[in-house]
Amino acid sequence: MSKPLQWLLAIVVVSGPVSAAATGGDATAASDAESRRCLRCHAMETLGYRDPATGEILRLSVDPQQFGHSSHGELGCGDCHGRDYRRYPHPEVALTDALSCLGCHREEPQAADYDLEQIDAEFAASVHAGGDWESGSEALTCHDCHDPHAFRPVEVGEPLAAIVARHNRVCRSCHVDPDLGDADLTTRSLSIGPARQVPGAGPHAWLPHPQAHWEAVRCIDCHTPALGGAEHRILPAAQAARRCVECHSRSARLLNDLYDYRSEEELARRGWLAKAVFNEAYIVGMSRNPALDRLSLFVLAVVILLLGAHGLGRYLASRAQRRKR
Amino acid sequence: MTVLYLYPVWVRLWHWGNALLFVVLIASGVSLHYAGAKPWLVPFDTAVMVHNAAGILLTLAWLGFIAGNLLTGNGRHYRIRWRGLIERTLAQTRYYAYGIFRAEPHPFHASETSKFNTLQQLSYLGAMYGLMPLLILSGWGFLFSFSLPETLFGLGSLWVVATTHVVVSYLLVLFVVIHLYVITTGASVFANLRAMVSGWHREPDRS
Repeated sequence: MSKPLQWLLAIVVVSGPVSAAATGGDATAASDAESRRCLRCHAMETLGYRDPATGEILRLSVDPQQFGHSSHGELGCGDCHGRDYRRYPHPEVALTDALSCLGCHREEPQAADYDLEQIDAEFAASVHAGGDWESGSEALTCHDCHDPHAFRPVEVGEPLAAIVARHNRVCRSCHVDPDLGDADLTTRSLSIGPARQVPGAGPHAWLPHPQAHWEAVRCIDCHTPALGGAEHRILPAAQAARRCVECHSRSARLLNDLYDYRSEEELARRGWLAKAVFNEAYIVGMSRNPALDRLSLFVLAVVILLLGAHGLGRYLASRAQRRKR
Repeated sequence: MTVLYLYPVWVRLWHWGNALLFVVLIASGVSLHYAGAKPWLVPFDTAVMVHNAAGILLTLAWLGFIAGNLLTGNGRHYRIRWRGLIERTLAQTRYYAYGIFRAEPHPFHASETSKFNTLQQLSYLGAMYGLMPLLILSGWGFLFSFSLPETLFGLGSLWVVATTHVVVSYLLVLFVVIHLYVITTGASVFANLRAMVSGWHREPDRS
């Protein structure tokens, strides 16, 4: 038996029951008979195998519930995974069965909403497209970030905090930072060396109120170019946004986009009156302009001084007149 | 002593409501604008809510004021009499700059048809019909900026909205400061303040 097939069969089932949904209860996720057959094994939370090359445990489980709510929730397993997977044990040839996102996504009607060529070009210029990153592995594929069994696009009306957390989970499943409260730095410290694995020395140690930022903005808001919404062009760490005014100033394009998105989301969620009162979208510093503030306070101070002087003049004049009488 | 009923109940209610809203809006607005800079500012989340709620009430108060001016005789005080405008403006300016220190008589005397002197009228017109609509529109523009085009006059619309709101707020703060001082220049220091409480304007007869 060849090596790849050995890994594939070296299924590690540590523990854990098969969920009720996995046995065929879910209404939308892979409800056809064939998919149910797949999920009999793949719904097990602990299904996986150890890659002999890297020693890493690779998960093979699919959460049927999550899959049912994902963008692909209405597809059956066989729609993406080829015929080779229908047999068990899966034959070795199945491993070469590469999945192509663009193969389907280029032809679907919604593809018009996304400029796939543009995404391709952005990704090619992204740090994730390089093959020399620290783990030694090859360039990432779409699937590494957009889990095809779980990914779904943002919907207006979904709470912002939930969207941010969901987005950031993708990045933080590989990149960790002690300043983010990540305790387990040993297994997922792709982007930081051992010296930076203590709180206060991580890559975001310079950022004021890190927790507030991570709850309110997506990693990609700072780690992609601010202009043009090139969300797939992940920048090298040294090029990520670091200047506070790139967001916290009125002219910032990033701020514009973020503020408008937050406003729209809140309007859909709360209705216009509650939105008008609570306005969660407001961002600290968005109205500030140091030169304008200084000028305004100067003018205000001059006016108050002039009025004070005028009042004092009136008082002295009226006292002098009273004395005269 | 001339006694005139110049400030009907609705005008006084509007005026003091407006005054209260201005105080609340200035305190919460400064706290938002300078959030995090000083410990004595209103906490950010509270300031957002208070500022927005007060802003909505200010909008309603302003609409009420405009409606009142259209439906009652109060609107006539805001109609500019163009004839002799420059002379009256100069006379009033001269009085504040010079005559007031020489105990000269006021160049203007309120009547039921005209309760504001020319400088007062021009500044109130500018504040209520110029700055207030800009303030209100930019305030609502802040809340619903995604409905605006991406750019206004070639600049990012949020930038235009925020700058307008801040500049107009500063100008209205200046207006309030000057207003608070100028009301002390009546027949006595508190005469005008009392008039806005009781509705009755009292002025010693000209001698």
